[in-house]
Amino acid sequence: MSDQIIFAVPKGRILDEALPMLAKAGIEPEASFHDPKCRALRFATNRPDIGIIRVRAFDVATFVAHGAAQLGIVGSDVIDEFNYSELYAPVDLNIGHCRISVAEPTDMALHDDPRSWSHVRVATKYPGITKRYFEARGVQAECVKLNGAMELAPTLGLSSRIVDLVSSGKTLKDNGLVEVEVISQVSARLVVNRAAFKTRADVIGPIVQAFREAVRADTA
Amino acid sequence: MTNALLPTGFRDRLPPEADASARLVRIILDAVAGYGYERVQPPLAEFEATLTAGLHVSGRDLLRFVDPASGETMAVRSDMTGQIGRIATNRMGHHPRPVRLSYGGPVVKLKAGQLRPEREMMQVGAELIGADSVAAVAEIINAAIDGLRQAGVTGLTLDLNMPDVIDLLAIGPLPVDDVALLKARLDAKDVAAVPNAYAPLIEAAGPVAAAIGKLRAFDVQGLLADRLARIEAIVALLPSDITITLDPTERHGFEYQSWLGFSLYSPLATGEIGRGGTYFNGAEPAVGFSAFIDPLIDAGLARGDRRRLFLPVGTTAAVAAQYRADGWVTVAALTEEDTAQAQICTHILTDGKAVPIKKD
Repeated sequence: MSDQIIFAVPKGRILDEALPMLAKAGIEPEASFHDPKCRALRFATNRPDIGIIRVRAFDVATFVAHGAAQLGIVGSDVIDEFNYSELYAPVDLNIGHCRISVAEPTDMALHDDPRSWSHVRVATKYPGITKRYFEARGVQAECVKLNGAMELAPTLGLSSRIVDLVSSGKTLKDNGLVEVEVISQVSARLVVNRAAFKTRADVIGPIVQAFREAVRADTA
Repeated sequence: MTNALLPTGFRDRLPPEADASARLVRIILDAVAGYGYERVQPPLAEFEATLTAGLHVSGRDLLRFVDPASGETMAVRSDMTGQIGRIATNRMGHHPRPVRLSYGGPVVKLKAGQLRPEREMMQVGAELIGADSVAAVAEIINAAIDGLRQAGVTGLTLDLNMPDVIDLLAIGPLPVDDVALLKARLDAKDVAAVPNAYAPLIEAAGPVAAAIGKLRAFDVQGLLADRLARIEAIVALLPSDITITLDPTERHGFEYQSWLGFSLYSPLATGEIGRGGTYFNGAEPAVGFSAFIDPLIDAGLARGDRRRLFLPVGTTAAVAAQYRADGWVTVAALTEEDTAQAQICTHILTDGKAVPIKKD
């Protein structure tokens, strides 16, 4: 293990908004990070004491929770899904906004009364959130774990409902689904490994503070 | 079952790790014995009712079974602290206070997660029952640091916590609807889900001097003044060559602690290697610490040097005894075919001398 602080950033939807945030906090990845042809997964930054890795959003949380990376940026959907005890989320970055919702086919929604549910079958990338949400209201959720294209599940009979991220609602509409309940609002967070937060406080403390100030400057 | 598969979270310790485990327990217990802590040995399992009363855990989190002898439910301990409290209250209730006790032994968790997959762990620690003053807390932390350092732990970071601070604020100047939910969110430093009034507590966490300063600025009503002064006094009594941080809202499964909690970290391990704090053992104030030996074994501590001397067939018992008296481990060849290499020896007795074996 090197002494370098590893910063994990997610591939995909949050990354474009996260990079300016990183820059404001004084961390800029090397040029090859932006090169789509580059197959490297680990990159240097303008700070010799900080390296960057680019991984799937769900893996950002896992890398940081295990202390393999010390810092990361990830959506609150992923944090809630895992509920890792070793993960701090000390800064709401106020980017990557969307919501995690229950959706079902439009014609089903016409006759459906959520108050009468006792058991639901749900296709989702978020079995943890889904189970907890339904359990809290006394409904048993049987989850079918999918990694994408959840919207297909109800039309093809894999499940009656889905739990997924919704931003504009266009994907749902195009697939004949309608949002029936919002589980929670989602935004991207700065996450920190719990042990690293204590043992590397001299380096990590100022980075966390820099992100706080970057967010304040953005919202001011 | 022929392939020797063990249940999830259980493992065999082989040489030299098994020896390292015993040695680490011994080193830490000897260190705290130097501060007056005497060892007690509670049983591995007890009646569930007795065990949960002292442990502040729910029986649902314990490995339970019905005792065929009494018909009562028994449980395997998941933490020895509660058992020590029970002994202090009952068997040693008549001893003058404070009582200083130490302990070491295996504990079993019912479930394990991805982050902490092990279900059996070796716990060692010390409890001071009858006081939770600045002097008592400093003694326990110093004993813990001393023990861990003698075990070979380097680069220690001590994180101090204020377990009752949220209760104080919530019943006082910053009322909230659901204190348990707030505590859980503060524990995750989930700043977006915490009321703004509590956010400064998250921002305050960090190196102790700066954190105390930030908390004093936050604490306009002086509600925390006494606690902060006590923490400052404790820090003054600790070694100056360790890193000390203060995180007022950290909790992490120590709901029963009273005014002070702490955790110890080292770069040798990814998680904490020791934790402790003040609590009430019944009505008595108390303070203690526990260390978990397994991460230290995995870090390669206390392996000892393997000075194994191979004694060819025919070496006399007297010669062998002399080498052992000089600190050697002697491994006797029982057959002519046996070799020093097969017995992983470092030396071989040749012409009355211990000759090092060349490595290939």
